[in-house]
Amino acid sequence: MKIAVSADGADLEASVAQKFGTSEYLLVIDSDSGDFEAIANPGASGQRGAGVQAVVLAISKGVKTVLTGWCSPAVRNQLTANGIEVISELSGTVGELVEKYRKGDLRKQVEAEVAPAAGGRRIDRAALLQAAKSAARQFASLLPILIGVVLLIGLFNAFISEELLASIWSGSPVLDTLWGACFGSILAGNPINSYVIGGELLKYGVSLFAVTAFIITWVTVGLVQLPAEIAALGKKFALVRNAISFVLFTAVAALTVVILNLITG
Amino acid sequence: MTLLKKERPQSSAWKNPTVRGLLFPALVLVAYGILFAIMPDKASVGLKSSANIALSMLLPLGLVFILMLVLNLFLKPAQIVKFFGREAGIKGVILSAAAGIISAGPIYAWYPLLKDLREKGAANTFLAIFLGNRAVKPFLLPIMISYFGWIYVLILTVFTVLGSIVVGYFVGALARVESSLPSRSR
Repeated sequence: MKIAVSADGADLEASVAQKFGTSEYLLVIDSDSGDFEAIANPGASGQRGAGVQAVVLAISKGVKTVLTGWCSPAVRNQLTANGIEVISELSGTVGELVEKYRKGDLRKQVEAEVAPAAGGRRIDRAALLQAAKSAARQFASLLPILIGVVLLIGLFNAFISEELLASIWSGSPVLDTLWGACFGSILAGNPINSYVIGGELLKYGVSLFAVTAFIITWVTVGLVQLPAEIAALGKKFALVRNAISFVLFTAVAALTVVILNLITG
Repeated sequence: MTLLKKERPQSSAWKNPTVRGLLFPALVLVAYGILFAIMPDKASVGLKSSANIALSMLLPLGLVFILMLVLNLFLKPAQIVKFFGREAGIKGVILSAAAGIISAGPIYAWYPLLKDLREKGAANTFLAIFLGNRAVKPFLLPIMISYFGWIYVLILTVFTVLGSIVVGYFVGALARVESSLPSRSR
Protein backbone atom coordinates (compact mmCIF):
# COMPACT_ATOMS: atom_id res chain seq x y z
CA MET A 1 0.00 0.00 0.00
CA LYS A 2 1.28 3.48 -0.80
CA ILE A 3 1.77 6.12 1.89
CA ALA A 4 2.58 9.78 1.14
CA VAL A 5 4.51 11.74 3.75
CA SER A 6 5.04 15.51 3.53
CA ALA A 7 8.76 15.98 4.12
CA ASP A 8 11.43 18.66 4.42
CA GLY A 9 13.95 16.53 2.51
CA ALA A 10 14.13 13.91 -0.21
CA ASP A 11 14.95 10.82 1.89
CA LEU A 12 13.62 8.76 4.79
CA GLU A 13 15.85 10.59 7.27
CA ALA A 14 14.08 13.89 6.51
CA SER A 15 11.69 15.38 9.06
CA VAL A 16 7.98 15.32 8.41
CA ALA A 17 6.96 18.74 7.07
CA GLN A 18 4.51 20.90 9.00
CA LYS A 19 2.19 21.61 6.06
CA PHE A 20 1.05 18.98 3.58
CA GLY A 21 0.11 21.42 0.79
CA THR A 22 3.34 23.40 0.77
CA SER A 23 5.99 20.93 1.99
CA GLU A 24 9.20 20.81 -0.06
CA TYR A 25 8.76 17.13 -0.94
CA LEU A 26 6.20 14.41 -0.90
CA LEU A 27 7.74 11.01 -0.23
CA VAL A 28 5.61 8.23 -1.66
CA ILE A 29 6.49 5.00 0.13
CA ASP A 30 5.35 1.47 -0.64
CA SER A 31 4.66 0.09 2.85
CA ASP A 32 5.01 -3.50 1.64
CA SER A 33 8.29 -3.32 -0.26
CA GLY A 34 9.79 -0.27 1.49
CA ASP A 35 10.56 1.37 -1.90
CA PHE A 36 10.11 5.11 -1.99
CA GLU A 37 9.99 7.96 -4.48
CA ALA A 38 10.76 11.59 -3.54
CA ILE A 39 8.73 14.07 -5.56
CA ALA A 40 9.21 17.84 -5.44
CA ASN A 41 5.83 19.12 -4.25
CA PRO A 42 4.32 21.24 -7.08
CA GLY A 43 2.65 23.35 -4.37
CA ALA A 44 5.91 24.09 -2.49
CA SER A 45 5.98 27.70 -3.71
CA GLY A 46 2.89 28.29 -1.59
CA GLN A 47 0.90 30.03 -4.27
CA ARG A 48 -2.85 29.69 -4.61
CA GLY A 49 -4.00 26.16 -5.39
CA ALA A 50 -0.94 24.62 -3.71
CA GLY A 51 -3.06 22.26 -1.61
CA VAL A 52 -5.05 21.07 -4.61
CA GLN A 53 -1.86 20.26 -6.49
CA ALA A 54 -0.55 18.13 -3.65
CA VAL A 55 -3.94 16.37 -3.49
CA VAL A 56 -3.89 15.60 -7.22
CA LEU A 57 -0.33 14.34 -6.92
CA ALA A 58 -1.32 12.01 -4.08
CA ILE A 59 -4.32 10.74 -6.06
CA SER A 60 -2.30 10.21 -9.22
CA LYS A 61 0.32 8.21 -7.30
CA GLY A 62 -2.34 5.86 -5.96
CA VAL A 63 -1.69 6.90 -2.35
CA LYS A 64 -4.00 5.43 0.32
CA THR A 65 -2.70 7.22 3.43
CA VAL A 66 -1.17 10.66 4.01
CA LEU A 67 1.06 11.30 7.02
CA THR A 68 1.75 14.96 7.78
CA GLY A 69 2.31 17.62 10.42
CA TRP A 70 -0.78 19.61 9.52
CA CYS A 71 -3.38 19.62 6.76
CA SER A 72 -6.05 22.29 6.13
CA PRO A 73 -9.69 21.20 6.50
CA ALA A 74 -10.31 21.80 2.77
CA VAL A 75 -7.36 19.66 1.70
CA ARG A 76 -8.31 17.00 4.24
CA ASN A 77 -11.86 16.91 2.86
CA GLN A 78 -10.56 16.50 -0.68
CA LEU A 79 -8.22 13.71 0.33
CA THR A 80 -10.85 11.81 2.31
CA ALA A 81 -13.43 12.35 -0.47
CA ASN A 82 -10.98 10.49 -2.70
CA GLY A 83 -10.60 7.62 -0.28
CA ILE A 84 -7.29 8.75 1.19
CA GLU A 85 -6.88 8.50 4.93
CA VAL A 86 -5.14 11.48 6.62
CA ILE A 87 -3.11 11.22 9.81
CA SER A 88 -1.85 14.60 11.02
CA GLU A 89 -0.27 16.26 14.07
CA LEU A 90 2.81 14.10 13.48
CA SER A 91 6.47 14.85 14.01
CA GLY A 92 9.73 12.92 13.66
CA THR A 93 11.53 11.52 10.65
CA VAL A 94 9.73 10.00 7.70
CA GLY A 95 11.34 6.60 8.32
CA GLU A 96 10.19 6.51 11.97
CA LEU A 97 6.63 7.45 11.08
CA VAL A 98 6.35 4.84 8.36
CA GLU A 99 7.62 2.23 10.79
CA LYS A 100 5.04 3.32 13.40
CA TYR A 101 2.33 3.21 10.77
CA ARG A 102 3.33 -0.32 9.77
CA LYS A 103 3.11 -1.45 13.39
CA GLY A 104 -0.35 0.11 13.69
CA ASP A 105 0.73 2.65 16.34
CA LEU A 106 -0.76 5.58 14.40
CA ARG A 107 -4.15 3.89 13.99
CA LYS A 108 -5.44 4.83 17.42
CA GLN A 109 -4.86 8.47 16.65
CA VAL A 110 -6.89 8.26 13.44
CA GLU A 111 -9.83 6.77 15.27
CA ALA A 112 -9.66 9.54 17.87
CA GLU A 113 -9.65 12.17 15.10
CA VAL A 114 -12.48 10.66 13.07
CA ALA A 115 -14.94 10.33 15.95
CA PRO A 116 -15.78 14.03 16.59
CA ALA A 117 -16.12 14.73 12.86
CA ALA A 118 -19.22 12.56 12.65
CA GLY A 119 -21.68 15.35 13.52
CA GLY A 120 -22.87 16.52 10.03
CA ARG A 121 -23.94 20.22 10.36
CA ARG A 122 -20.69 21.47 11.88
CA ILE A 123 -18.74 20.30 8.84
CA ASP A 124 -21.00 22.36 6.55
CA ARG A 125 -20.25 25.51 8.50
CA ALA A 126 -16.54 24.76 8.38
CA ALA A 127 -16.79 24.18 4.62
CA LEU A 128 -18.59 27.52 4.19
CA LEU A 129 -15.91 29.31 6.18
CA GLN A 130 -13.21 27.60 4.15
CA ALA A 131 -14.93 28.53 0.87
CA ALA A 132 -15.22 32.16 2.03
CA LYS A 133 -11.56 32.21 2.97
CA SER A 134 -10.40 30.85 -0.37
CA ALA A 135 -12.76 33.24 -2.20
CA ALA A 136 -11.19 36.12 -0.26
CA ARG A 137 -7.72 34.85 -1.20
CA GLN A 138 -8.67 34.45 -4.87
CA PHE A 139 -10.20 37.89 -4.87
CA ALA A 140 -7.24 39.52 -3.14
CA SER A 141 -4.84 37.93 -5.61
CA LEU A 142 -6.56 39.40 -8.66
CA LEU A 143 -6.98 42.87 -7.18
CA PRO A 144 -3.40 44.31 -7.46
CA ILE A 145 -3.11 43.75 -11.21
CA LEU A 146 -6.71 44.81 -11.76
CA ILE A 147 -6.09 48.08 -9.87
CA GLY A 148 -2.94 48.59 -11.99
CA VAL A 149 -4.94 48.03 -15.17
CA VAL A 150 -7.69 50.45 -14.13
CA LEU A 151 -5.12 53.13 -13.23
CA LEU A 152 -3.30 52.58 -16.51
CA ILE A 153 -6.55 52.92 -18.47
CA GLY A 154 -7.04 56.23 -16.64
CA LEU A 155 -3.67 57.43 -17.95
CA PHE A 156 -4.56 56.09 -21.35
CA ASN A 157 -7.83 58.05 -21.26
CA ALA A 158 -5.93 61.22 -20.36
CA PHE A 159 -3.47 61.00 -23.23
CA ILE A 160 -4.81 58.94 -26.11
CA SER A 161 -7.33 60.47 -28.44
CA GLU A 162 -10.01 58.62 -30.37
CA GLU A 163 -8.37 59.81 -33.59
CA LEU A 164 -5.09 58.14 -32.68
CA LEU A 165 -6.79 54.84 -31.92
CA ALA A 166 -8.86 55.04 -35.07
CA SER A 167 -5.65 55.37 -37.05
CA ILE A 168 -4.36 52.08 -35.59
CA TRP A 169 -7.61 50.20 -36.09
CA SER A 170 -8.51 50.20 -39.75
CA GLY A 171 -12.22 49.49 -39.47
CA SER A 172 -11.85 46.39 -41.65
CA PRO A 173 -13.31 43.42 -39.70
CA VAL A 174 -10.61 41.04 -40.97
CA LEU A 175 -7.64 43.25 -40.10
CA ASP A 176 -9.16 44.38 -36.79
CA THR A 177 -9.78 40.79 -35.73
CA LEU A 178 -6.20 39.87 -36.62
CA TRP A 179 -4.74 42.84 -34.73
CA GLY A 180 -6.90 42.08 -31.70
CA ALA A 181 -5.78 38.45 -31.76
CA CYS A 182 -2.12 39.47 -32.00
CA PHE A 183 -2.37 41.75 -28.95
CA GLY A 184 -4.34 39.15 -26.99
CA SER A 185 -1.78 36.45 -27.82
CA ILE A 186 1.14 38.52 -26.59
CA LEU A 187 -0.53 39.75 -23.41
CA ALA A 188 -1.65 37.32 -20.74
CA GLY A 189 -2.94 37.14 -17.19
CA ASN A 190 -6.25 36.90 -15.38
CA PRO A 191 -9.14 37.13 -17.91
CA ILE A 192 -10.80 39.88 -15.85
CA ASN A 193 -8.12 42.33 -17.06
CA SER A 194 -8.86 41.51 -20.70
CA TYR A 195 -12.57 42.26 -20.11
CA VAL A 196 -11.78 45.66 -18.57
CA ILE A 197 -9.26 46.63 -21.27
CA GLY A 198 -11.58 45.31 -24.04
CA GLY A 199 -14.59 47.11 -22.57
CA GLU A 200 -12.73 50.42 -22.40
CA LEU A 201 -11.39 50.00 -25.96
CA LEU A 202 -14.97 49.55 -27.16
CA LYS A 203 -15.82 52.99 -25.71
CA TYR A 204 -13.07 54.43 -27.90
CA GLY A 205 -14.78 53.04 -30.95
CA VAL A 206 -12.47 50.06 -31.45
CA SER A 207 -14.51 47.42 -33.25
CA LEU A 208 -16.09 44.50 -31.41
CA PHE A 209 -14.23 42.18 -33.82
CA ALA A 210 -10.88 43.38 -32.48
CA VAL A 211 -12.00 43.36 -28.85
CA THR A 212 -13.48 39.85 -29.05
CA ALA A 213 -10.33 38.45 -30.67
CA PHE A 214 -8.30 40.21 -27.98
CA ILE A 215 -10.34 38.72 -25.12
CA ILE A 216 -10.47 35.18 -26.46
CA THR A 217 -6.75 34.91 -27.31
CA TRP A 218 -5.73 36.53 -23.99
CA VAL A 219 -6.11 33.12 -22.30
CA THR A 220 -6.15 30.58 -25.13
CA VAL A 221 -2.90 31.71 -26.81
CA GLY A 222 0.06 32.56 -24.60
CA LEU A 223 3.35 33.77 -26.05
CA VAL A 224 4.55 34.95 -22.63
CA GLN A 225 4.06 31.54 -21.04
CA LEU A 226 5.16 29.58 -24.11
CA PRO A 227 8.59 28.64 -22.61
CA ALA A 228 6.86 27.24 -19.51
CA GLU A 229 4.36 25.32 -21.66
CA ILE A 230 7.20 23.89 -23.77
CA ALA A 231 9.10 22.85 -20.63
CA ALA A 232 6.04 21.09 -19.21
CA LEU A 233 4.36 19.58 -22.25
CA GLY A 234 6.96 19.54 -25.02
CA LYS A 235 7.85 21.81 -27.93
CA LYS A 236 5.59 20.14 -30.45
CA PHE A 237 2.53 20.15 -28.20
CA ALA A 238 3.00 23.78 -27.15
CA LEU A 239 3.72 25.15 -30.64
CA VAL A 240 0.92 23.18 -32.32
CA ARG A 241 -1.59 24.08 -29.58
CA ASN A 242 -0.79 27.79 -29.68
CA ALA A 243 -0.73 27.97 -33.49
CA ILE A 244 -4.05 26.14 -33.89
CA SER A 245 -5.59 28.13 -31.05
CA PHE A 246 -4.54 31.40 -32.70
CA VAL A 247 -6.12 30.48 -36.04
CA LEU A 248 -9.25 28.85 -34.68
CA PHE A 249 -10.03 31.33 -31.91
CA THR A 250 -9.49 34.26 -34.28
CA ALA A 251 -12.17 32.68 -36.47
CA VAL A 252 -14.34 32.03 -33.41
CA ALA A 253 -14.07 35.72 -32.47
CA ALA A 254 -15.21 36.82 -35.92
CA LEU A 255 -18.05 34.29 -35.90
CA THR A 256 -19.19 35.42 -32.44
CA VAL A 257 -19.58 39.03 -33.61
CA VAL A 258 -21.26 38.04 -36.89
CA ILE A 259 -23.82 35.93 -35.00
CA LEU A 260 -24.33 38.64 -32.38
CA ASN A 261 -25.02 41.14 -35.17
CA LEU A 262 -27.51 38.73 -36.75
CA ILE A 263 -29.34 38.25 -33.43
CA THR A 264 -29.39 41.85 -32.28
CA GLY A 265 -29.81 43.29 -35.76
CA MET B 1 13.75 10.83 -8.30
CA THR B 2 14.30 12.25 -11.75
CA LEU B 3 11.14 14.30 -11.52
CA LEU B 4 12.32 16.54 -8.73
CA LYS B 5 15.54 17.61 -10.36
CA LYS B 6 13.81 18.77 -13.49
CA GLU B 7 11.01 20.64 -11.73
CA ARG B 8 12.91 22.62 -9.12
CA PRO B 9 14.45 25.36 -11.29
CA GLN B 10 11.16 26.12 -13.01
CA SER B 11 9.12 26.48 -9.84
CA SER B 12 11.77 28.61 -8.12
CA ALA B 13 11.90 30.98 -11.12
CA TRP B 14 8.22 31.77 -10.63
CA LYS B 15 8.35 31.90 -6.87
CA ASN B 16 6.94 34.77 -4.90
CA PRO B 17 3.82 35.55 -6.94
CA THR B 18 2.80 38.27 -4.49
CA VAL B 19 5.87 40.36 -5.29
CA ARG B 20 5.36 39.82 -9.04
CA GLY B 21 1.69 40.80 -8.70
CA LEU B 22 2.53 44.05 -6.92
CA LEU B 23 5.25 45.12 -9.36
CA PHE B 24 2.87 46.19 -12.11
CA PRO B 25 0.53 48.40 -9.99
CA ALA B 26 3.62 49.85 -8.28
CA LEU B 27 5.08 50.87 -11.65
CA VAL B 28 1.77 52.49 -12.65
CA LEU B 29 1.73 54.42 -9.36
CA VAL B 30 5.29 55.63 -10.02
CA ALA B 31 4.13 56.83 -13.46
CA TYR B 32 1.29 58.74 -11.74
CA GLY B 33 3.76 60.23 -9.26
CA ILE B 34 5.97 61.55 -12.05
CA LEU B 35 2.97 62.82 -13.97
CA PHE B 36 1.56 64.69 -10.97
CA ALA B 37 4.91 66.48 -10.70
CA ILE B 38 5.13 67.55 -14.35
CA MET B 39 1.56 67.57 -15.71
CA PRO B 40 -0.87 67.69 -12.73
CA ASP B 41 -3.88 68.46 -14.96
CA LYS B 42 -3.46 65.34 -17.09
CA ALA B 43 -2.74 63.23 -14.01
CA SER B 44 -5.97 64.26 -12.28
CA VAL B 45 -7.97 63.60 -15.49
CA GLY B 46 -6.44 60.11 -15.54
CA LEU B 47 -7.17 59.50 -11.86
CA LYS B 48 -10.79 60.66 -12.19
CA SER B 49 -11.27 58.43 -15.18
CA SER B 50 -9.84 55.46 -13.23
CA ALA B 51 -12.15 56.22 -10.31
CA ASN B 52 -15.16 56.18 -12.65
CA ILE B 53 -14.15 52.81 -14.05
CA ALA B 54 -13.61 51.43 -10.54
CA LEU B 55 -17.05 52.71 -9.41
CA SER B 56 -18.79 51.08 -12.36
CA MET B 57 -17.13 47.78 -11.44
CA LEU B 58 -18.17 47.69 -7.78
CA LEU B 59 -21.44 45.82 -8.21
CA PRO B 60 -20.14 43.23 -10.71
CA LEU B 61 -17.07 42.69 -8.49
CA GLY B 62 -19.37 42.01 -5.52
CA LEU B 63 -21.14 39.38 -7.61
CA VAL B 64 -17.75 37.95 -8.61
CA PHE B 65 -16.91 37.44 -4.93
CA ILE B 66 -20.22 35.71 -4.20
CA LEU B 67 -19.82 33.43 -7.23
CA MET B 68 -16.27 32.56 -6.16
CA LEU B 69 -17.55 31.60 -2.74
CA VAL B 70 -20.38 29.44 -4.10
CA LEU B 71 -18.12 27.70 -6.63
CA ASN B 72 -15.47 27.03 -3.97
CA LEU B 73 -18.15 25.44 -1.86
CA PHE B 74 -19.41 23.02 -4.48
CA LEU B 75 -16.62 22.41 -6.97
CA LYS B 76 -13.51 20.43 -6.23
CA PRO B 77 -11.01 20.61 -9.12
CA ALA B 78 -8.89 17.76 -7.73
CA GLN B 79 -11.73 15.28 -8.07
CA ILE B 80 -12.29 16.12 -11.72
CA VAL B 81 -8.64 16.36 -12.71
CA LYS B 82 -7.95 12.85 -11.48
CA PHE B 83 -10.38 11.44 -14.06
CA PHE B 84 -9.71 13.41 -17.19
CA GLY B 85 -6.43 11.75 -17.93
CA ARG B 86 -7.96 8.35 -17.87
CA GLU B 87 -11.42 8.50 -19.35
CA ALA B 88 -11.58 8.22 -23.09
CA GLY B 89 -14.13 9.58 -25.58
CA ILE B 90 -16.90 12.01 -24.74
CA LYS B 91 -16.50 11.52 -20.98
CA GLY B 92 -12.86 12.56 -21.21
CA VAL B 93 -13.83 15.63 -23.25
CA ILE B 94 -16.48 16.70 -20.71
CA LEU B 95 -14.20 16.11 -17.73
CA SER B 96 -11.20 17.93 -19.18
CA ALA B 97 -13.38 20.88 -20.29
CA ALA B 98 -15.01 21.03 -16.83
CA ALA B 99 -11.60 20.85 -15.13
CA GLY B 100 -10.35 23.75 -17.29
CA ILE B 101 -13.42 25.86 -16.50
CA ILE B 102 -13.24 25.38 -12.73
CA SER B 103 -9.44 25.49 -12.47
CA ALA B 104 -8.28 28.54 -10.53
CA GLY B 105 -5.00 30.33 -10.12
CA PRO B 106 -2.24 31.22 -12.56
CA ILE B 107 -1.47 28.80 -15.37
CA TYR B 108 2.08 28.28 -14.11
CA ALA B 109 0.71 26.48 -11.08
CA TRP B 110 -0.95 23.92 -13.33
CA TYR B 111 1.89 23.01 -15.70
CA PRO B 112 3.65 20.56 -13.32
CA LEU B 113 0.36 18.74 -12.82
CA LEU B 114 -0.41 18.57 -16.53
CA LYS B 115 3.09 17.23 -17.11
CA ASP B 116 2.53 14.59 -14.49
CA LEU B 117 -0.87 13.68 -15.93
CA ARG B 118 0.67 13.31 -19.36
CA GLU B 119 3.37 11.02 -17.98
CA LYS B 120 0.52 8.99 -16.48
CA GLY B 121 -1.01 8.64 -19.95
CA ALA B 122 -3.36 11.61 -20.35
CA ALA B 123 -3.96 12.23 -24.06
CA ASN B 124 -2.78 15.49 -25.67
CA THR B 125 -6.36 16.13 -26.79
CA PHE B 126 -7.58 16.40 -23.19
CA LEU B 127 -4.64 18.52 -22.04
CA ALA B 128 -5.32 21.00 -24.87
CA ILE B 129 -9.06 21.03 -24.08
CA PHE B 130 -8.20 21.79 -20.44
CA LEU B 131 -5.93 24.70 -21.43
CA GLY B 132 -8.47 26.19 -23.86
CA ASN B 133 -11.33 26.05 -21.39
CA ARG B 134 -9.37 28.06 -18.85
CA ALA B 135 -10.70 31.03 -20.85
CA VAL B 136 -14.18 30.33 -19.48
CA LYS B 137 -14.43 31.59 -15.93
CA PRO B 138 -17.96 31.38 -14.50
CA PHE B 139 -17.18 33.63 -11.53
CA LEU B 140 -16.02 36.44 -13.83
CA LEU B 141 -19.22 36.44 -15.90
CA PRO B 142 -20.73 39.42 -13.98
CA ILE B 143 -17.82 41.64 -15.08
CA MET B 144 -18.00 40.39 -18.64
CA ILE B 145 -21.79 40.87 -18.82
CA SER B 146 -21.50 44.39 -17.36
CA TYR B 147 -19.23 45.36 -20.25
CA PHE B 148 -20.60 43.37 -23.18
CA GLY B 149 -24.17 42.24 -22.39
CA TRP B 150 -25.40 38.71 -21.73
CA ILE B 151 -26.17 37.68 -25.33
CA TYR B 152 -22.59 38.36 -26.39
CA VAL B 153 -21.23 36.55 -23.31
CA LEU B 154 -23.46 33.55 -23.95
CA ILE B 155 -22.37 33.23 -27.60
CA LEU B 156 -18.69 33.74 -26.79
CA THR B 157 -18.75 31.26 -23.90
CA VAL B 158 -20.44 28.51 -25.91
CA PHE B 159 -18.06 29.09 -28.85
CA THR B 160 -15.01 29.11 -26.58
CA VAL B 161 -15.95 25.72 -25.12
CA LEU B 162 -16.69 24.25 -28.58
CA GLY B 163 -13.57 25.87 -30.07
CA SER B 164 -11.40 24.41 -27.28
CA ILE B 165 -12.71 20.93 -28.05
CA VAL B 166 -11.95 21.36 -31.77
CA VAL B 167 -8.44 22.65 -30.92
CA GLY B 168 -8.02 19.65 -28.61
CA TYR B 169 -8.75 17.17 -31.37
CA PHE B 170 -6.44 18.99 -33.82
CA VAL B 171 -3.63 18.98 -31.25
CA GLY B 172 -4.31 15.31 -30.53
CA ALA B 173 -3.95 14.50 -34.23
CA LEU B 174 -1.01 16.79 -35.07
CA ALA B 175 1.12 16.38 -31.94
CA ARG B 176 0.65 12.63 -31.95
CA VAL B 177 4.35 11.74 -32.16
CA GLU B 178 5.01 13.20 -28.75
CA SER B 179 2.04 11.46 -27.20
CA SER B 180 3.61 8.37 -25.71
CA LEU B 181 2.21 4.91 -26.33
CA PRO B 182 0.49 4.50 -22.95
CA SER B 183 -1.85 7.38 -23.78
CA ARG B 184 -3.25 5.51 -26.73
CA SER B 185 -3.75 2.28 -24.85
CA ARG B 186 -5.59 3.92 -21.97
